Amino acid sequence: MINLVNVTKFFPSALGNQYIFKDLNFSIPTDKNVALLGKNGAGKSTLFRLLAASEFPNAGKITSDKTISWPVALTTGIHPAMTGRENTRFIGRINGVADLVEYERRVRSFSELGRKYDLPVGTYSSGMKPRLAFACSIALDFDVYLIDEVTSVGDASFKKKARRALYDRSNNASVIMVSHQTSELRLFCDSAIILDDGKLVYYDELEEAIERYEAL
Amino acid sequence: MAIARKRSKWRVWRDVIYSLIVREVKTGFGDKLGLSWAVINPIAFIFVLSFVRGRLDGGETYSMPTFVFMAYGLLIFQLFLQTFNACTSSIKRSKPLFAFRQVQPISPVIASGIFEGIVKVVVMAGIALVMYFLTMEIRIDNPLGVIASFINVWLIGIFMGLTFGIAQLYIPELNKFRNMMTRPLFFISGIFFSLRDIPQEYWWLLDWNPLLHATELSRFYSYSSYGKVGVSQIFVFELLLVLVAFSLLFYRATWKGAISR
Repeated sequence: MINLVNVTKFFPSALGNQYIFKDLNFSIPTDKNVALLGKNGAGKSTLFRLLAASEFPNAGKITSDKTISWPVALTTGIHPAMTGRENTRFIGRINGVADLVEYERRVRSFSELGRKYDLPVGTYSSGMKPRLAFACSIALDFDVYLIDEVTSVGDASFKKKARRALYDRSNNASVIMVSHQTSELRLFCDSAIILDDGKLVYYDELEEAIERYEAL
Repeated sequence: MAIARKRSKWRVWRDVIYSLIVREVKTGFGDKLGLSWAVINPIAFIFVLSFVRGRLDGGETYSMPTFVFMAYGLLIFQLFLQTFNACTSSIKRSKPLFAFRQVQPISPVIASGIFEGIVKVVVMAGIALVMYFLTMEIRIDNPLGVIASFINVWLIGIFMGLTFGIAQLYIPELNKFRNMMTRPLFFISGIFFSLRDIPQEYWWLLDWNPLLHATELSRFYSYSSYGKVGVSQIFVFELLLVLVAFSLLFYRATWKGAISR
């Protein structure tokens, strides 16, 4: 369970505070793969960043006894002047990976970067960087993976591989997923949360949720 | 799959700060000169300026060699300014890393502070080495005092950097203001003069500045015959204490809001 207790989140703007959540109380189950549905601007990304503790609510708190990933395939932490290997080590160290050499090996083989793994990320083509980022997060063990449109990473064959890896993970870890492709959600998720107007509603059945969401 | 260890809070902080320092070393200096430039540049600057000044006035200032007199002024000044600047900009530069829950805005500040501190120790060693080869006298009457002065200034740089770095996320214009503010410091921190050169009725214009105190004190600790006039170690300590308390309170109150910006 991830518990949100009296969570309030707003962004200050020229038009006053823009509230995303006001005194939100909610429990997100972590024994199921959950799809997160919501319109553009409903706050899906904000909720993700809150869950990943990349950002913090203005009031209230979020607690969980599970380990939660950062939004998977997020490339922002990858430094262009460092090599793929150095970036991997950095992420591994921060997350307390016990065996860095083994972690590097996994990331290298999963990302299919080959020799380029030891070149600065700045020299990579645009598809290679997200591949590295995806490999860095999927090679780590988390209880819950936060996935934002992940299968848009790389070319067709890498996409397939990413989907495969994620599917394998989702057997013993759970997934919270944002995607605008319902086929993607149907593949991974069995339940859903609809995010609308600052409120969260949980649906045990994904199909029911998709129906409701499309009627919104 | 790679298993993450269960770590104590201290261990997490240690890992984060260590990896941030490594990152800084690897990315901060892109060209061929690399890290060595961070050491050679200040040594050359301090050496040329101090040497020229020492030549100009016969070599002695209030019973200490003018070279040493100048070198202390410049070292203290650079230690402060570069630590302050590095710590301030480190927060904004590391913003993408706050996506990792382990990295908080104060982590890059600590990492940058430690890194600048190490660089400055190497710079000091370099200057001492050059002085040794030129058979100049190296004399430090009160090593502990000198070390205390340097650590004081270093910490002032770190904690001012912390406050400025956070404040800058709220008010980006502060960055321009910062450059304007630190420029006059070069001329009022006693690099080129001693406080006793100034008529006493004008001291109040200058003696609020802890860098001036630290400079004069480190000269005194090095050559006790230099004496200390109008400066006080207690003042520097107290100022540091107030600064640390203020900046930590400010940090605690604002960091969670600051990274949402």
